[in-house]
Amino acid sequence: MKKLSIALLTATLALSAAHAKQITVWVIDGDSERPYFLQLQDAFNKANEKKGLTAKIVPVPSINDAIQSGFLSGKLPDVFMLDGPNMANYAWSGQLAPLDSYFSKGTLSDILPAIKDQGTYSPDGKLYAMSPYDSSVLLWGNKKYLQEAGVRIPKNLKDAWTLKEFEDALQKLSKVKGVTWPLDLKLNYTGEWLSYGFSPFLQACGADLINRKTWKATGTINSDAAVDILEHLQSWAKNKWVVPASAGDNRFYGDKTAALVWVGNWMWRAHKEGLKDDLVLIPAPKFCGNKQVSPNGGWSYAIPKVSPNKAEAGAFIDFAMSSKQVALYSDTTGYVPARKSAIRLSKLYGKGGEGAIMAEQSAKIAVVRPVHPAYPVISKSFGDAVLNILNGANIKSELDKAAKAIDQDIAANKGYPPFNK
Amino acid sequence: MQNQPKLASQTGTKTRRSSHTTQEWLDELLLIAPASILLFTFLILPFFMAGYLSFTDERLVPRPIPTEFVGLQNYIAVMKDPEFWQAFRNTAWFALLVVPFQCAISLACALLLNSELPFRSLFRSVSLLPLVTPMTVIAVIWAALYRIPDGFMNNILHLFGMEGYIDWLGDSKFAMPAIVLLSAWATFPFQMLIFLAGLQDIPMERYEAAKIDGAGPWQMFRYVTLPGLRNTNIFILIITTLQAFKLFTQVDILTHGGPLGSTNTLVRYMVQEGYTAQQVGYASAVAVVFVILVGAFAILQRVLLKNE
Repeated sequence: MKKLSIALLTATLALSAAHAKQITVWVIDGDSERPYFLQLQDAFNKANEKKGLTAKIVPVPSINDAIQSGFLSGKLPDVFMLDGPNMANYAWSGQLAPLDSYFSKGTLSDILPAIKDQGTYSPDGKLYAMSPYDSSVLLWGNKKYLQEAGVRIPKNLKDAWTLKEFEDALQKLSKVKGVTWPLDLKLNYTGEWLSYGFSPFLQACGADLINRKTWKATGTINSDAAVDILEHLQSWAKNKWVVPASAGDNRFYGDKTAALVWVGNWMWRAHKEGLKDDLVLIPAPKFCGNKQVSPNGGWSYAIPKVSPNKAEAGAFIDFAMSSKQVALYSDTTGYVPARKSAIRLSKLYGKGGEGAIMAEQSAKIAVVRPVHPAYPVISKSFGDAVLNILNGANIKSELDKAAKAIDQDIAANKGYPPFNK
Repeated sequence: MQNQPKLASQTGTKTRRSSHTTQEWLDELLLIAPASILLFTFLILPFFMAGYLSFTDERLVPRPIPTEFVGLQNYIAVMKDPEFWQAFRNTAWFALLVVPFQCAISLACALLLNSELPFRSLFRSVSLLPLVTPMTVIAVIWAALYRIPDGFMNNILHLFGMEGYIDWLGDSKFAMPAIVLLSAWATFPFQMLIFLAGLQDIPMERYEAAKIDGAGPWQMFRYVTLPGLRNTNIFILIITTLQAFKLFTQVDILTHGGPLGSTNTLVRYMVQEGYTAQQVGYASAVAVVFVILVGAFAILQRVLLKNE
């Protein structure tokens, strides 16, 4: 009897082993994301118990580097998370599998347009990356200082500060006792932040990082409109209104020597803990006339072309993009949910919620970063220029240099066919 | 020269040498194989690969259009790039500042630790702490020391009555000296250890003889210690210079090459071009130029020191 049951057991085990499949998923390694991914792994494995499908979720530090070396060595998981603007480069290189077939029509129509834009590769119109969340950048303010300065605090997108009002506020705040710097632009960050955080200045004024029709940077990134608005940015630094890079991360929410900060929603928790009820969310200013722009996007799920388990990988992404999971991601991390239905569910971002402005920005004024294979070069060139401009360099010549570097890279890649058509 | 015949007789006569059997050859080859394979895979092969790639337009991520041979185009572009020259000047400037500074600190500390100091072994271990701390950690700690307006460095200046503050890492006048100070502190124990070994190699009799001749401490240092350290000095000078050329981590973490590129170094320039901008071909050309520059520098230094 005993023998028989053992035999039966091994037989069933062998049978299920034949069907069992484990997919590997690389995700970003962040303190706020970790609890969410643990939950996602459990939920997915439970839901797919009968199919014998399990997912192993691995948080990978410096995941961008890991993916790049993965492409070179061919050792990649079944699903990985990539930074949204890098998608075009990888898709152009033929490294990604399209995702369209794994989502239902209902899911697709529920996803925020900007998130779809970020994941869609224009030459073939297919989706290659899908982010569970959207990020947004706005001004966070210290209510106490703003009131002392006698500055009007905008409540929604429509009554956002104009550029003049904003500069006036900076001027007044610089006189308030306790304020060393009126504005923190998070210059202690590097890399993608510089192009992500500062391209809205250009975009609101009719310029951009690159012309999105001709895919030429010269004449767009270094246009007069771009120079004009960056002159304002530079003047704030010259007036010593901006927290210098070497002053550290916590000037706004820590020792409260900064009154305003231009940064994304990932700082929500730190801000909330530091300022409590003094924290106010102020929409992106109208940098040019009536126009305002906020950046958007985020780390997205993608499937490498080399994965032998694409169907299962697709099922995993579909699961992770369900309304419930998207809402959970947002609740755990503080990002804007990527699905309209999840926004409605969310306490933070729904109507009247504390973060309603951010959700509104994501839906109305967000501009996706250029979805072009040259993005890594576009981003580096503009980022270098912004940093130098803030340090007092000549604006026009910095932007000319960036334009030249971008156009040279595109030429060196023969226009990144089929973008050259 | 006198020793040579003796050595030959020790290792054996000519006849014995020629009887070096095939078996012995194989044994020797087997013994050097692990080291040779490692040397070849990690030093020689990558260098030749970089040399080859520098003549192509290779990219980091594989791409649908084929990689092409571009001749000297990358080298010409490197030579024409003002950022490269700025990084070159910065690196040379860093080496010029850090080498004498660091050598002086490490020699001073070595002298101190070689003297009859109480708790000498305790000090010896404590002084090695920077060496066992990763540079990334050191950089983060020093970022706090340099922080404005209230970091340690500024507080010290306030003690001396300075008003306002110095933006150590954000002011192009101070950024490089700040990096020099940090780097010298972070790596001096290595040179100190070598100096210490060198000091202990100087025969005590020379000091005793000097004492009998009535030499004071300075004269002993000048006429006994320094000449006794001649070979150590040459070694340390070359090693420190080569180390200085590799400056990367501190700068990448603390200043990101800024402000206005004033702390950008050759290695950081190479990493930025190869990794961030994904232009492997171009970065390989930078790497080859870098190796040639550093190699030339090392040879020049050797020649000059030999002539001395």
